[in-house]
Amino acid sequence: MKECLLCQVPMRAEVSFDDIILFTRVEPMLICQDCQSAFEKLTGQATCRQCGRRLTVVMENPCYDCQRWQHQISFNFRNVGLYEYNAAMKDYMKRYKFLGDYRLRWLFAKQLGQFALKTKRLLVPIPVTADTMAVRGFNQVTGLLERCHYIEVLRAAQLTKNRRQSEKNRVDRLRLSQPFELVKEKAHLIAGKKVALIDDVYTTGTTIRCAATLLYQAGAASVIGITLAR
Amino acid sequence: MINHISELYGRQLSSLELPSELANLPQLNQRDAIDLKPKLRCARCGAKLNRKQAALPNGQFYCYVCIQMKRMDTLHQLVFIEEPNRFPKKLDALSWDGQLTGLQEVCADMVVDVFKNRKRHLLWAVTGAGKTEMLFKGINWGIAHGKRIAIASPRIDVCIELFPRIQAAFQKTPVILLHGKSEQPYKYSQIVICTTHQLLRFYHAFDILIIDEVDVFPFSGNPMLHFGVNNAIKPNGAMLYLTATPDQHLLSQVRRKRLSISYLPIRYHGHLLPEPTIIKIKNLSHQITLKSLNKRILKMIAQLISQKQRFLLFVPHIKDLAAVKSAIQQAHIQANFDTVYSADPDRIEKVAAMRNRRLDFIITTTILERGVTFPGTDVLVLKADDAIFSAAALVQIAGRVGRSSERPDGRVLFYCESHCATVRSCQRQIRQMNQRAWRL
Repeated sequence: MKECLLCQVPMRAEVSFDDIILFTRVEPMLICQDCQSAFEKLTGQATCRQCGRRLTVVMENPCYDCQRWQHQISFNFRNVGLYEYNAAMKDYMKRYKFLGDYRLRWLFAKQLGQFALKTKRLLVPIPVTADTMAVRGFNQVTGLLERCHYIEVLRAAQLTKNRRQSEKNRVDRLRLSQPFELVKEKAHLIAGKKVALIDDVYTTGTTIRCAATLLYQAGAASVIGITLAR
Repeated sequence: MINHISELYGRQLSSLELPSELANLPQLNQRDAIDLKPKLRCARCGAKLNRKQAALPNGQFYCYVCIQMKRMDTLHQLVFIEEPNRFPKKLDALSWDGQLTGLQEVCADMVVDVFKNRKRHLLWAVTGAGKTEMLFKGINWGIAHGKRIAIASPRIDVCIELFPRIQAAFQKTPVILLHGKSEQPYKYSQIVICTTHQLLRFYHAFDILIIDEVDVFPFSGNPMLHFGVNNAIKPNGAMLYLTATPDQHLLSQVRRKRLSISYLPIRYHGHLLPEPTIIKIKNLSHQITLKSLNKRILKMIAQLISQKQRFLLFVPHIKDLAAVKSAIQQAHIQANFDTVYSADPDRIEKVAAMRNRRLDFIITTTILERGVTFPGTDVLVLKADDAIFSAAALVQIAGRVGRSSERPDGRVLFYCESHCATVRSCQRQIRQMNQRAWRL
């Protein structure tokens, strides 16, 4: 008997009759049904064609925020989010990133990895600062890309973050100056290639657009974003 | 974050929580937060870790067992400072002017003796015997000798209820209440009241450690909390266990003479424990799932409400709470009532509302089985034969009744489908204690 990684409820792996006669490979369960159902998938939903958020009936496509971005930035950016950034996902991020429970990467690593590989693009994770690395001991994005090949062509420009992204308000975040720089030795690897930037959460889109700008400067042919949550 | 060095006395924290100006103190001791050899093991909670699960990138490890209380990892050291016992030795710190009965007095002297001779002791006192009051004399002795004292319990409700009583009895001594949901910042104080989980943050801190309701989940059978307790107490500290229903583990320690024991079979007001009445009802669990209750139960509830008799209604599972609530509402019973369970966000407020007489009754799971006093209440238990209710839990539930001297008796009604071992064992335990009380 194993326990759910999120709510510690004991779980019993259920193998259906079909699985037995069809020799389906049964993946070990990590979280219980209740916790699983609290996450809302965005794949297969009507989403904004630029930022990947769920569209409601009154919203235009692209959404209002992305229309504003079109005035501010010279290229069109497309982002795909796998899950809605709801209460369950917020709690997950809190435990995975801020509490530092590295095991929780397994919850979404496989799905995000498969999705990223299907795009047939070079994968570039968003980096963390050296300071975060010293405290947290891991980069939450590369944790999610465990089973994939990726190129760490970006690095954080500053040693420390003055404030966490999640502590700032929208106006502060939109004003963000370039937080990343290119790793010179690896920059040639992405020249002329199609690239997918990977991040954990897309909130205002500033971070990932800053990173995309740099990749275009390094000569990338096209850049899209893939985030776990939107 | 630590603001003052005194906040580190007797505590163990990750070096991450230490501001840079305190990092080079001469008193500061350090040890590895995770022991790598012989087996991967967390130094704070003692859990043996699985290498694959505990791995961080770059060959680092972390503890995933006690991660809720800030992460322990190989990137940071565990820092601690020896407990200096910087307390003024006050001679009469006790500001409580109540009287102990003769039997309580004997136990209170026993407690002082345990503290003086640094023994390990189990005080087996029936529910409502006045355990807290019997501690006062011992705590008073501890304060007079500058000892640091902790009262810990696995249950948060028990801690919250203990805190004002201890604070009122020792007004001039700093007391602090620590639990996972409290927002009070930590302060170095002589008396600490906390949940057993919070003890993990202490290291060789307490001369006297009192654990209330030892036999209860999550403490019993949880090696992490036992490890934490042994770390929190000084190597030659006194340990006092309190309970009304000791489990097999404690009793076997008594038999092996590792633990001394004393009994108090009678309540402070001198009346016997109320014995449960068992009422058999067919298909009770089916009725609960259908959201309809037997007429006898509804009639009893209506009768209690018309008599303005407050009561607790226990159900076995969280999912039964809503079902029983709607069953009572459908029966057009007019009353102020609420439901409460362990993960309820308003749990503390709801229990306070019941205590302040703003509610006529409360429907609850086993979380309110012990450590809480609602004066003059009755108790109804639905499905008392359910596996959730152990014999100890039933004894404790029955013990919620008749705790005040104004109303030393009351109704304890167990509704069950069949007679089962736990119910019978509960009846037997209460009868035994009452017989022992008769002989006094």
